[in-house]
Amino acid sequence: MGYTWHFNVIWDYRIVFVRGATITAQLTVGSLLIGVLLGLILGMMRSSHLKLLRGPATFYIEFFRATPVLVQLVWLYYSLPILTGVQMGNVASVTVGLGLHAAAYFAEIFRAGINSIDRGQLDAAKSIGMIYWQMMWRIVLPQAVRRMIPPFINEFATLIKLTTLGSVLAVYELLHESNNLINNTYRPLEVYTALAVAFAVIIYPFIYLSQRLERYWQVRS
Amino acid sequence: MIRVTNLHKRFGALHVLRGIDLKVERGEVFVIIGPSGSGKSTLLRCLNFLEEYDQGEVLFDGELVGYRKANGGKLVRDRAANIARVRAQMGMVFQSFNLFPHKTVLENVIEGPLIVQRRNRAEAIAAAAAFIKKVGLDDKTHVYPSKLSGGQQQRAAIARALAMQPKAMLFDEPTSALDPELVGEVLAVMKTLAADGMTMVIVTHEMAFAREVADRVMMMDEGAVVELDTPERMFNAPAHPRTADFLRRVLH
Ligand SMILES: Nc1ncnc2c1ncn2[C@@H]1O[C@H](COP(=O)(O)OP(=O)(O)O)[C@@H](O)[C@H]1O
Ligand SMILES: [Mg+2]
Repeated sequence: MGYTWHFNVIWDYRIVFVRGATITAQLTVGSLLIGVLLGLILGMMRSSHLKLLRGPATFYIEFFRATPVLVQLVWLYYSLPILTGVQMGNVASVTVGLGLHAAAYFAEIFRAGINSIDRGQLDAAKSIGMIYWQMMWRIVLPQAVRRMIPPFINEFATLIKLTTLGSVLAVYELLHESNNLINNTYRPLEVYTALAVAFAVIIYPFIYLSQRLERYWQVRS
Repeated sequence: MIRVTNLHKRFGALHVLRGIDLKVERGEVFVIIGPSGSGKSTLLRCLNFLEEYDQGEVLFDGELVGYRKANGGKLVRDRAANIARVRAQMGMVFQSFNLFPHKTVLENVIEGPLIVQRRNRAEAIAAAAAFIKKVGLDDKTHVYPSKLSGGQQQRAAIARALAMQPKAMLFDEPTSALDPELVGEVLAVMKTLAADGMTMVIVTHEMAFAREVADRVMMMDEGAVVELDTPERMFNAPAHPRTADFLRRVLH
């Protein structure tokens, strides 16, 4: 195959990538915040002994894990306004949609971490008069966090990748900017290659870190 | 100090406590014995409401534990903050120690005073030091539980419970998880508490210890009280064949 690469195209249009990466970062951070906060609440609800809290949390988590993210995003963008009259912009829709989606996965990470704490310690905490929040904050979470960090980083890496779905709603994140660039330059091979490499360079360090932490803590405990 | 009336507890179909009545006086050392599975731990856990009971009443220092009387006299679950407040007046020591592994001995001991009683840090540390000294761990103050022997962990757990200045202490087989050579140091600490006049409810298989420190001994089997007597009479002349049988087995 005698294809001649023209990677100078990428350099010439580097501003396009910077612009896309900014939006990608914005989507990631926004949905991460929503996902972590909602996930923490859902995770605690799901590990509660009260059915009234556990039921809805379980339903939410299973529902969001059983439907495709892309369907969740388009539903939020196209169907929600028809039902409620609330129309979010495309960036907001993708941020909220990915946040709601990620919350289901973060919730499971929190729940697993919370449940990994031995029940005897909870008995001890209660026996010295701690109420639920004190027990969570002082005894459970400080120990659970360490076990949550590796899966948490993995989920974070997944979230970065999922932001490319924003292109479907015409959000100018990295993939969408790349597609536009291809329309102007007719250089799909260079542009898509650069895009893939860019994601790998951003995401791999996180995956590596997560694996190292997991091994490190396995050895120590 | 503690008064239990017609206490029933079920785990699903399993009827674990079948109408327990007992009264523990202030300053009394009350020992509970009985075969494994007879409901001793469950009874103890009902006293500070770590386990919810289905029927009957537990009164601690005149207060109903875990429930309150609603209009019409029906019992409803008490507010969480109130349950916690009553609970904090009873220290509990567990078979498996249950120290907080991410905290040193001192941090374990000041946790309750600091977080639950909201005492000031310096004051809590000074008080904790005295309790840590009392259980003989002053040289382990800043050590993490994983670096302690079982006997030391259990003594730290006793100090943690004492730091809340409880009106009574509950012990659930505190020496059962220990190597035989470490049992003595924990029992010794418990004896000093008894000598100080602490109200204690102790589930144990250490019959020599029970004979020495108990004011009264209660024998349980299959969720019911078999007999309740002074240690002299219970150990020398048990009134019930099931007690005699049980004692023969634990004393070999
Ligand atoms: N959380 C629980 N769920 C179901 N069954 C339980 C639970 N805790 C204890 N039991 C059962 O209740 C009975 C009494 O247990 P326990 O109070 O621990 O006895 P003991 O302390 O005298 O050995 C046992 O049959 C035990 O299996
Ligand atoms: Mg037991």
